[in-house]
Amino acid sequence: MTEGTATIRTRKFMSNRLLNRKQMVVDVIHPGQASIAKTVIREKLAKMYKAPADTIFVFGFKTAFGGGKTTGFGLIYDTLDFAKKFEPKYRLARHGLYERPKTTRKQRKERKNRMKKVRGTKKTKVGAAAAKK
Amino acid sequence: MEYISIMFMQGLSFLELKYHTLLSYLINLSHVVLRKVSGASIYNEPCIDRLVELRTVLERLRPIDKRLKYQIDKLVKTAVTGESSDASSFRANPDNMVSKLDEDADENEDEDAATEKKSVYVPPKLAPVRYDGDESAASRQEKLLERAKRRALSSAMVRELREEFLDAPTELGSRVDSGAGPSGPSKEDRERQEYEETYFTRLPETKDKRKKRKLPTIGSLANELTNFESDFRVLEGEVMPTKKRKSSKKPTGKKGKKGFKKRKSR
Repeated sequence: MTEGTATIRTRKFMSNRLLNRKQMVVDVIHPGQASIAKTVIREKLAKMYKAPADTIFVFGFKTAFGGGKTTGFGLIYDTLDFAKKFEPKYRLARHGLYERPKTTRKQRKERKNRMKKVRGTKKTKVGAAAAKK
Repeated sequence: MEYISIMFMQGLSFLELKYHTLLSYLINLSHVVLRKVSGASIYNEPCIDRLVELRTVLERLRPIDKRLKYQIDKLVKTAVTGESSDASSFRANPDNMVSKLDEDADENEDEDAATEKKSVYVPPKLAPVRYDGDESAASRQEKLLERAKRRALSSAMVRELREEFLDAPTELGSRVDSGAGPSGPSKEDRERQEYEETYFTRLPETKDKRKKRKLPTIGSLANELTNFESDFRVLEGEVMPTKKRKSSKKPTGKKGKKGFKKRKSR
């Protein structure tokens, strides 16, 4: 598959039934250009493997010294549910399928320490009230 | 007469000697006892000398007898019981090997040996190491020469000469990351690549790898430029490859620590 002058090849293709996905090493050859965006690569793979693009996850792209060739990994899940189940949260977040809580670590610890001072159902009140500060 | 001749056909055996000496000893002893009982003196009697002689012979026989004791007992037992076909009856009996009298002496010996060994610590040899004991000096020299030749052939100078004089097309754009050396990626790089592709992870870049990326020729450029003479010599097979010496010892100078002058200069 080519577009412009970029070629995508896959190596070490394996169908991983334990995790309900297909995994492969993705080689992108793009002489004279900068490395290709991950979204473009996902679309290409979707066409190659006839899978919906939202079940495809690519990561770990490293460009070889001198440019022209990039190597990364690709996973194609059977369904989006399996993807949500097995993929790590940061990769889901890249696709917008997961939002991590915005609270910082410091705030969480402070909240916990405030809750330590109070007993029973008052804990929730303490947490909510003091967090607004 | 026949019986006697059969006995002495092959010389006097040990056991027969023993019987004869014992018999003679008994005879002489009984003679002495008889003389004493009948009141006669035994001063300067020849039988006393004979007794002494026989006694010494018996004393000499005793250690040999002790060594043969086990075998003789075994044979006698088999002769008595009549079972000689069972081969397992001749197997070793480890209980007989431990001497019950000498236990204390053995323990003391062990302790001494242990304390002696403590002074010299020999580490256990656990990791397998290449065995080159069978390799002769000549074959080792050959192998070293072979390796030096191979290294020389793939050195930078030789590569440039090859490019200049041979008709092969020049290869551009060789990747430094994974195809660093003249024969492609080094063993380390290949292993890392394989690991990454098998386990679908990226290993972080180590410090020396980063340094190499920033300054690729840092340690090797000067050596490459100045070693070509020795490389060519090796290719012709003239000079034996000398080991590359590490940087020589730091000169200690005249004054050591705290300003004391060193007596012996290095």
